[in-house]
Amino acid sequence: MHKNKFSYFMIFFFISSISWAQESATNNTKGNEILKKVDENLMPVSYESYRKLINEEPDGSKKEFIFYTVKKGKDKVAMLYVSPASEKGRATLRLGDNMWLYIPNVGRPIRITSMQSVVGGVFNNADIMRLDYSVEYDAEIMEQNDSGYILDLKAKTQTVAYDKLKMWVDKKNTMVTKVECYAASGTFIKTLEFKNVKNFGDGIKRPAVIETSSPLYKGYRSVMIYSKMKLKKFPDEVFTLDYLSRLGELR
Amino acid sequence: MRLKKTFFLVMFFAFASTSIFSQDYDFDIPEEEAKIEFNGNLDAKWGLLQTQKSSPFFGLQFYDVAEKENYLSQYRLDFYLNGTYRHKQVGFFMKTFYQYAKEQALSPSFFELYGSLNFSPRLSLSIGKRLFNWGKGYAFNPVGYVNAEKDPENPDLALAGKTSVYINYNRSFTSNFLQNFSVGAVLLPPEAKINDRFASADKIAGALKFYFLLKNIDIDLMAAFKKDEPRRLGLNFSTNLRENLEIHAEFSYAQDELKYLVNDELISQHKKNGGSYLLGLRYLNQFNTTLIAEYYHNNSGLSKNEFTSYVNYLDNSLESNNPAEINSAKLNMTTTFRSKTLMQDYLYLKLSQPEPFSWLYFSISVFTIYNLADKSFLVSPQLSYKPYTNFEVLLWQFLFFGKEDTEYGSKQFRKKIEIWMRFYF
Repeated sequence: MHKNKFSYFMIFFFISSISWAQESATNNTKGNEILKKVDENLMPVSYESYRKLINEEPDGSKKEFIFYTVKKGKDKVAMLYVSPASEKGRATLRLGDNMWLYIPNVGRPIRITSMQSVVGGVFNNADIMRLDYSVEYDAEIMEQNDSGYILDLKAKTQTVAYDKLKMWVDKKNTMVTKVECYAASGTFIKTLEFKNVKNFGDGIKRPAVIETSSPLYKGYRSVMIYSKMKLKKFPDEVFTLDYLSRLGELR
Repeated sequence: MRLKKTFFLVMFFAFASTSIFSQDYDFDIPEEEAKIEFNGNLDAKWGLLQTQKSSPFFGLQFYDVAEKENYLSQYRLDFYLNGTYRHKQVGFFMKTFYQYAKEQALSPSFFELYGSLNFSPRLSLSIGKRLFNWGKGYAFNPVGYVNAEKDPENPDLALAGKTSVYINYNRSFTSNFLQNFSVGAVLLPPEAKINDRFASADKIAGALKFYFLLKNIDIDLMAAFKKDEPRRLGLNFSTNLRENLEIHAEFSYAQDELKYLVNDELISQHKKNGGSYLLGLRYLNQFNTTLIAEYYHNNSGLSKNEFTSYVNYLDNSLESNNPAEINSAKLNMTTTFRSKTLMQDYLYLKLSQPEPFSWLYFSISVFTIYNLADKSFLVSPQLSYKPYTNFEVLLWQFLFFGKEDTEYGSKQFRKKIEIWMRFYF
């Protein structure tokens, strides 16, 4: 009799484990599908755009930068500093986990890391030269209601800037509205808020403003504004170290 | 009837001519395709220097100065003007440098002046004076065969390029193994010494560099050759190990590299085979502090005893009071032994912190160059303040430590403090 009870228990345990694993896998698959859709809505496959980055200091003063950005595929981004004069001609390149900074006076690209910030303020290099989220993270649905999802994103490798992200997605248009970034230790690093959904033409409709703040940078606030986002095709060689000094030719 | 016909004819021609002229007045405004841009910066610098009268380097440099002072000041204006012209695949680039120290006519130094033609995104050619910067090291570059000599005390300083013909082929691959490959060939004609216009074609130097982005690692292989000069082969790499850690290394092998030594007050030349190398890292911690650390071994550098012999030679020349000997020592000091890394083993460490203690617009850094052979070193703290866009103030101090016969202990100056004001436009 005891033997039978034990057998029933084992069968029940086995079936429930399978269904839990299936549910978890389904949840994971669906999370990744939503994440891919979020990426598609945020960034076209191949495009150019101008961005203004405003770093607001605790005393209220502002520092502004303008970048010309080109992107191809999921993991190729290059960026040229257009202003101010002190930064003009600098260029950065990101290929997957690799990042480089080209300074005209130095005359060669140097490797930089995703946690550094080449412009100061709250945005770091990974924020400014962000790849598709699905390239760097696996997603799982944490919560959902009628209006949206909350996704739990885990970094695929150790070279990713943030180990974990919590992402709020609007269900109506599968558009990201907010992201919280966490370190591997669980420390909360920053919040990114996606605002002002704008139609850029060419079928591109996405938030034109990203605001960020961080408990690690008390009193600081950074804002990134997108402009003139257009679909454009580029040869792969544009996204190479040799081309960094020539990025201005594309404008 | 005839009058009516004439009237119609006049009206017809008047209308026709009007429409012709009106067509002539219509034109399309061509889009501005060519882009000419200028930018640059002005560095106003003032420095206070504490002299080291016991140093033979000071003695020789200021030999002709009757009264040797304990402190000297220095005022300089460095003006950089850069110009770029781009039209489709053609480009023209200029970097000029003017230095004002006293009232006299200024003439520009062309740091770069070259034209380029981009046949495609993959293939480009340039001719003229151009800056190359090979290698992955921050303060030192043993594989920098075509580089201008870098000053480890200020590795970010703009430097003059070299007259060259440069062709580069660049190719990307959609592979997880090899992502990018490029090959660059540089031809460097020697200085035009024949009638100030010509140079011997026999002595054109050549250098080749192959670049691979292989499994997220930058790898360069390079070679340099010139008649009657040592052949060099080099390798360097760099990669990111973590989101906040980068490592890099360089290795250069030279055959018959020249090394100059002082033996019994005479300078002798030796040929040496062997390798120079560099190991380095760049690390960013959670407090936003960046550390750059590099170890450099210079194969043709002087050992401790060899450097002491060299210092003794300078000392003895100075003590001889013989103008011919003094001039000869002075010449050797500025030519044969002019390298910024004269000795064999160095350690470079730099720490930098933006906005420390919540000081807005400030950043602080400190670096040291430690000579591992004679245990002398240089420490240089720096304070930068950027209150406005396109403007920066730098306060920069250099402190030298070591015994009198050591590299940093025997410098002309014991201490230096400089203030820079930098304006960009």
